[in-house]
Amino acid sequence: MTPRAASVAAVEAEPVVSPPATLDLESRRWLADLRAEGKAHDLAVVRLHELLLRAARFEVSRRQRSLPHLRGNELDDIAHEAADDALVSILGRLDRFRGASRFTTWAYKFALLEAAVKLRRRAWQGREIPLEPETWPTFSSPTAGPETQVEQAELLAAVREGLELLTPHQRTVFVALALNGVPIDVLAERLDTTRGALYKTLHDARRKLRAHVAAAGLAEAERDQ
Amino acid sequence: MTKTPERRLLHALLGPGEPEVGCDECFAALDRYVELELAGADADAEIPGLRAHLDGCPACREEHDSLYALVRAERSE
Repeated sequence: MTPRAASVAAVEAEPVVSPPATLDLESRRWLADLRAEGKAHDLAVVRLHELLLRAARFEVSRRQRSLPHLRGNELDDIAHEAADDALVSILGRLDRFRGASRFTTWAYKFALLEAAVKLRRRAWQGREIPLEPETWPTFSSPTAGPETQVEQAELLAAVREGLELLTPHQRTVFVALALNGVPIDVLAERLDTTRGALYKTLHDARRKLRAHVAAAGLAEAERDQ
Repeated sequence: MTKTPERRLLHALLGPGEPEVGCDECFAALDRYVELELAGADADAEIPGLRAHLDGCPACREEHDSLYALVRAERSE
């Protein structure tokens, strides 16, 4: 799977439906212009790309601190690539716009997704993905009382013990995502799968671990909402 | 309530522990969810399971926060 395919796979679940009659005027104009032919269509595509580029740059600016090794022009290249890819995604999915929001809000999310995925992958480029719990976390909060510290240590031990109950794939996904903080898009690319499939695996692993923790009489985590 | 680092770690490990949508469903509904939030509506009641997913999925959470911030900034211009 190509990197782009992995990022847009997250949107494949959107059903094809007609926009409702309550769609706001601006959104109707966007749809009409993008579905038109000739100059009106071309101008709408240019305007849409500008909109998407603004959104992608917004995302880049939010993440800039986490990418200190990237220069401004490299970051702007990423924003342009994200806007280009988002444009392709949107034009191929106009019939899936549900009219549940303004058209611009719907369009923005594609650009933000593309930019976020590219930036996460860039941040992890060349880095090895930790798939084993090389260092298991420990708790030593100076603010927690002795009783709380004991309870949390027991919870953590139960989670660690519960890893044995997971399938090898669940364990790999859980350790990478939940324990080692690998971004889900980065792991999806390395394992040649999708974000949705990985999250389903993580969800199943967490459910097993929660059940194990509860069975051990340590239900405190259930109230951690 | 602010979570301690220990609570955050346990939450990252064990997840939200309540019914939640997946990443695909989250992306499909994210634009509507953000607009409901900005309108002051009960987005959690309108789209059940999305808030829980944002609690359990850091990537979707980041994209939600960006969309919310972008649309809010645009509307305040």
